[in-house]
Amino acid sequence: MDLTPILNGFSVVLEPANLLYCLVGVLIGMLIGVLPGLGPGATIAILLPITYGIEPVSAIIMLAGIFYGAQYGGTITSVLLRLPGEASSVVTVFDGFALAKQGRAGTALGIAAVGSFVGGTVSIVGLSLVAPIVAGFALDFGPPEYAALGILGVLLISSVGNGNKLKAVVAACVGLLLATVGRDTFTGAERFTFGSLNLAEGLDFIPIAMGLFGLSEILYNLEERHNKVASPAKIGNVWPSRKELGEAKGAIGRGSLIGFVLGVLPGGGATLSSLAAYAFEKRRAKQPERFGRGAVEGVAAPETANNAAATSSFIPLLTLGIPANATMALIFGALLIQGIQPGPQLVTQHPDVFWGVINSMYIGNILLLVMSIPMVGVFVKILRVRAAILAPITVLITLLGAYTVRNQVYDVFLVIGFGLLGYLMKKFGFEPGPLLLAFVLGTMIESSARQALLIFGGDPTGFLTRPISGTIFALVALVAVLPLIRTAWRRKAIRKAPAEEKTS
Amino acid sequence: MPTYRTASHRILTGVLGAAAAIALTACGGVKTTSSGSDGGTYPTGNIEFSVGASAGGSSDLISRALAQGMAKELGVSAPVVNKPGANGALAAKELQAAKPDGYKIAVQNASLFTITPLTVSAAEATKIDSFDVITGVSRDDYVMATSTASGYKSVKDLKDAGKPIRYGTTGVGTGAQLASALTFEAAGVKATAVPFDGGAPNLTALLGNQVDVSTMQVGEAIENIKAGKLVPLAVFSAERIPFLPDTPTAKEQGFDVQVTQYRFLTAPKGTPEDVKARLLEAAKKTFATPEYKKFNEDNSLTPMEVSPEEVLSALKSDGTNFAAKLDEFGISLTG
Amino acid sequence: MSVSDASDPASQADRLQAELDETRPPHAGPISQLAAALVALAVGVAGAAGSYALGLGELTQPGPGLWPFAISVVIVVLSVTLAVTGRSLEDAERFSRSSLLTAGGLVTLVLLAVLLPLIGFEIPSLLLMFVWLRWLGKESWRSSIVVSVCTVAAFYLLFVVLLQIPLPRLI
Repeated sequence: MDLTPILNGFSVVLEPANLLYCLVGVLIGMLIGVLPGLGPGATIAILLPITYGIEPVSAIIMLAGIFYGAQYGGTITSVLLRLPGEASSVVTVFDGFALAKQGRAGTALGIAAVGSFVGGTVSIVGLSLVAPIVAGFALDFGPPEYAALGILGVLLISSVGNGNKLKAVVAACVGLLLATVGRDTFTGAERFTFGSLNLAEGLDFIPIAMGLFGLSEILYNLEERHNKVASPAKIGNVWPSRKELGEAKGAIGRGSLIGFVLGVLPGGGATLSSLAAYAFEKRRAKQPERFGRGAVEGVAAPETANNAAATSSFIPLLTLGIPANATMALIFGALLIQGIQPGPQLVTQHPDVFWGVINSMYIGNILLLVMSIPMVGVFVKILRVRAAILAPITVLITLLGAYTVRNQVYDVFLVIGFGLLGYLMKKFGFEPGPLLLAFVLGTMIESSARQALLIFGGDPTGFLTRPISGTIFALVALVAVLPLIRTAWRRKAIRKAPAEEKTS
Repeated sequence: MPTYRTASHRILTGVLGAAAAIALTACGGVKTTSSGSDGGTYPTGNIEFSVGASAGGSSDLISRALAQGMAKELGVSAPVVNKPGANGALAAKELQAAKPDGYKIAVQNASLFTITPLTVSAAEATKIDSFDVITGVSRDDYVMATSTASGYKSVKDLKDAGKPIRYGTTGVGTGAQLASALTFEAAGVKATAVPFDGGAPNLTALLGNQVDVSTMQVGEAIENIKAGKLVPLAVFSAERIPFLPDTPTAKEQGFDVQVTQYRFLTAPKGTPEDVKARLLEAAKKTFATPEYKKFNEDNSLTPMEVSPEEVLSALKSDGTNFAAKLDEFGISLTG
Repeated sequence: MSVSDASDPASQADRLQAELDETRPPHAGPISQLAAALVALAVGVAGAAGSYALGLGELTQPGPGLWPFAISVVIVVLSVTLAVTGRSLEDAERFSRSSLLTAGGLVTLVLLAVLLPLIGFEIPSLLLMFVWLRWLGKESWRSSIVVSVCTVAAFYLLFVVLLQIPLPRLI
């Protein structure tokens, strides 16, 4: 392998101007990541005209900085306010917010920063070395494989959360049902839209997430008995201790790998990877019941995975010209504006752009880590603010943020509606997490399954005979059956144990 | 703080708030972008471009390129506001209801007026009569392509293969679906449509050989065509397009199918003539700038900077033509 | 080492959880559980009916209603199971007088959403902040006024001046 273009890429990045653009991008990204609603997509769209005037490499370095800066910014709100900005940070909420409640927000944010850095860096190394090979792997994933992955995802959802399993599955099914609202992409039929044009487009993730998590939490807490004012959680630390980092080490390593591999898949890769990383950690933990109550691994695994996935989602863009998500589509647009067509020829025709962008991510990740150390200290102070003051500010951010998603009041009403639903769900012992995650996967499962059936000519055995989808379905079966075996085995062990005691 | 007076205070605050609210509503003084005042020559304030698609798609990029140029010409700023939903119908409905003062305009897609009505109820269809067309903008052509590995070189090869063809489209009710459905019907090829949600998944499926052929916009396919990973089979324009000079049109291959996507600048119905003239002038000047020309080139867009009358007649003939063709073959886009 | 160390934060978490639970209203009885299951059942039945009306199609040509119908049937089955087996669960909470606070908060949110397009975001936001601070949060008059004005000003600066988001507004 010829290393010259890679090294040239580094010299491009280390030009002071490019370093500055990288810094600006990461900073803007963090800021808008903190604001719910306004995602990296919208920000890049706003900034797109500015990039006309600057060098292509600098422009892309800045935009990429916004993208992964926003990933980290989203973590901050997930942890502190229970407001996930993107589908891929939903899972972080469970343990991140629990840690924050215990006054360990610094631990959560610090672990997330370290995990993001490691995940991102591992992913970039992977990107530099094996991008073309991995890109081919992404193409082997057709509709049947996505359908299989989605089903595996739903199965993993059931392992998230600590409440009643039956209720979790009911909530997940309602999430799947909500995902079908809107115009059917196959027949054009309007499903459950009641004649509304807004509903015809389907429900959007962001207002649902903001309502079900952020707003419902606030509405729920309004009820707390005021005579016993819950003192603001003491802030134990602003940075994770060495012991906590040690606990997270394994989760970060595994998260990097899962994130890198699944992130390559366009569409849903990042969400699936965070969910898979979390579920995997919970399953292999000695005390799975810690998860959801502030397990360090519960933050480390998904945060590492989603950042690794965010980075590896550049692979299909840079090598195949396929934008993996809306933000990538915008970066695609930005490249076009600069007269550069992302695609198979990018690496040969514009090696400076290709390697410049990739190498800027190393720098960007380092900047992100360095900046987050003081930032964590600042953000954690938010928790010192009395709940009575923090609550209305959060409500306002949520509602106005919802408006900015599509510039429609409709989305504000949606947030309020889902806020109420989330509140009622909590009152009746249902967890909103499974509903939201299933909602995210729902469309993918349905369209992929239907596309697959069209491709197979209606023969469902096709799912099992294709090597990759067959393997995933085998995995699905394993995941479904394994807990049953384990429970049976544990029962047997318990029955055995007292017997042994007696004999001894 | 004593609390015994809160009740009366509460009522007082409520009444005051409500009164203020009503007073302000009566003035109707709400703005989203600082729009212009009534006095002076147009434009005195910002001109909002609404886009019926999310940021990043070609509709969005075209709006932004045009907005940027026109803003410079008119000396005001021209923010682009994305209101995605229902293939652009949502944004169209809003534009339709906006004040016809030239401070809210939009680039709209032909497919909303020619193809979408074929898939939705008559009441839901957006009608071009509700808008004033200012000028045509550009054309975005469709190309049918297959992966190099498949060995197909023309539409005829698909027919000769003698097996059912599965073709990817960018969704139900899109030009891509219409063009392929009509072509396969005309060629007598037994084919099943596999709709994907937009261009990227459609391209992925084609590159991965999940489907036999796909129809998509030229800009989406061109780089992989140049790299030799995709083979173009046909374009659906009247004549060959400059970006793919070696690809024959469907018509050349004996199938009378002509489907293109084009975009045009619109304002709400009843916009004053002088405002329209000013907008047209600014658009014309933008079209002439090298940056805008380069933008078209980079995005594989063919300029279609024609008069409103030409846009309207194209829309009309396409609309009736498509409906007649679907009737003739007895096919329905909604499966 | 790992076992004893790992259990330490966990037990700490449990303690905190228990403390938090004390401030919550008491458990709700079997009727609430049954009601929740019946609501889920209603969703399932409505979904099944709605998607059946859309047309199920068949595997070679799945109709728009097939997938939602399948999910709805699963919801029906699960909620019936829940109604039968879940009545003794203790994870639901009773509604109490303090639930009225939540209802009040909800009303202010709806008001904001209604007024936003009519009179811009400034006044509704100010009112919402103030109501939440003064009456839902029991802050003092002074701090309620100061915090709400500052917050709205900060939002104006951030959304309108800095980010130039087209938020409906007066100024």
